[in-house]
Amino acid sequence: MIGVGKIKQYSNVLDKPLSKGKQEVSLSAFAFLFSELVQYNQTQVDNIAELERRLEDAGYSVGARVLELLCHRDKGNRRETRLLGILSFVHSTVWKVLFGKVADSLEKGTEHEDEYMISEKELLVNRFISIPKDMGTFNCGAFVAGIVRGVLDSAGFPAVVTAHFVPVEGQLRPRTTILIKFAEEVLRREARLG
Amino acid sequence: MAAIYSLYIINKSGGLIYYKDYGSAGRMDTNDTLRLASLWHSMHAISQQLSPVSGCFGVELLEADTFDLHCFQSLTGTKFFVVCEPGTQHMELLLKHIYELYTDYVLKNPFYEMEMPIRCELFDINLTQAVQKDRVALLGR
Amino acid sequence: MPAVAPRSGEAIFSSAERVNAELFTLTYGAIVRQLITDLEEVDEVNKQLDQMGYNIGVRLIDEFLAKSNVSRCVDFKETAEVIAKVGFKMFLGVSATVTNWDAEGTTCSLVLEDNPLVDFVELPDTCQGLHYCNVLNGVVRGALEMVSTCYLMLVLSSCHIIILV
Repeated sequence: MIGVGKIKQYSNVLDKPLSKGKQEVSLSAFAFLFSELVQYNQTQVDNIAELERRLEDAGYSVGARVLELLCHRDKGNRRETRLLGILSFVHSTVWKVLFGKVADSLEKGTEHEDEYMISEKELLVNRFISIPKDMGTFNCGAFVAGIVRGVLDSAGFPAVVTAHFVPVEGQLRPRTTILIKFAEEVLRREARLG
Repeated sequence: MAAIYSLYIINKSGGLIYYKDYGSAGRMDTNDTLRLASLWHSMHAISQQLSPVSGCFGVELLEADTFDLHCFQSLTGTKFFVVCEPGTQHMELLLKHIYELYTDYVLKNPFYEMEMPIRCELFDINLTQAVQKDRVALLGR
Repeated sequence: MPAVAPRSGEAIFSSAERVNAELFTLTYGAIVRQLITDLEEVDEVNKQLDQMGYNIGVRLIDEFLAKSNVSRCVDFKETAEVIAKVGFKMFLGVSATVTNWDAEGTTCSLVLEDNPLVDFVELPDTCQGLHYCNVLNGVVRGALEMVSTCYLMLVLSSCHIIILV
């Protein structure tokens, strides 16, 4: 039956109301798409470091867009100006929207003042992925690190963000830590704000 | 007490892409398993032609004196078969479950190349769990 | 083994694990952007999207078969319906409509009213001729090829998939 339940067509995409973010696709659909993203990038690089960088770059553009979307929809256009505020936003709001749950933990680094860690037992993007032994410590979570960097950068908190596997006592599979190292200017500003 | 002796997965060309031995008496070396997989692939194909009725999908169960062999072939031509103790129940369900694990932890792995031997840690882990659960259920009876 | 009844697209989708469509939409956007940067030519990007879809299709078909319990389709009409109602629904959460049958029954169109890939996407002038969701063509083509039926695929607009036998 054609015409029944037809979605209203908008001549200008900007007139279309913003979605409430409730539409879903199957995890499988995302997993296949993500797998293809990784496979495509593998053909474009010579080494693992480059692959990580390309995945991070892909994630960056997602992060920048996610910030805009969530600030408008979920935060009433309020802007975070404090470090803990933006970290909490990433750990809770961003994670909940993208991955369906808040991140397992948010911790401050013990060795360096400028480091914070968001950890997950298993990143959603890694759910079906087994890294071959010859790829060493490579983590497809580099894509998620890129998303975080995109959010932080666009919010005015430039940082270097990387994804790492961290072995866990008594567990077969390592957990993943997203390591955030803020730029100096961020810490200086934070100190000024008191 | 292992009800399941071994598991084989063969690709649509008859190449062995996965073999797991569950501690049976007849341990085989790599060459033997490759040969066996290739033989089974041919036998399976021949069985479809032997059928007196059209539309046969090939051997699903082989019963011998010391073992049963249950085989599942997907419409894409990949075959999953287990060699187990005679009379072991629910092997078709197990094979179907293994097929689903394959669609998840092998096919969604960007580092897995199609038709090649399976070397996916998550597949191994989940497969072990599936077989263990099966074993526990059988022993509990 | 007794035949198991085929499941509806809706049933499979509801029982499967799901993610926010926005993650999916944004990730696809990132892929298209990468391709445009790498390949520059719109035609090359279209080709690559189709190829990527094909790579996905040849893997996705097994999950489709495992979860839907469909047996071999009797004819092409049935195949098209199954793709539209079960295939698209169980992965994308939206069904397609099969329309535009030709006289011989060898050509039809699959129409997606609501396509999560293209949510809020608008093609800039520099990308006219880009078949933004060309990946879907490749997916259907790859999937069908694996169950050894030969179909050719073409795309007309960003939400139309035309299948020719």
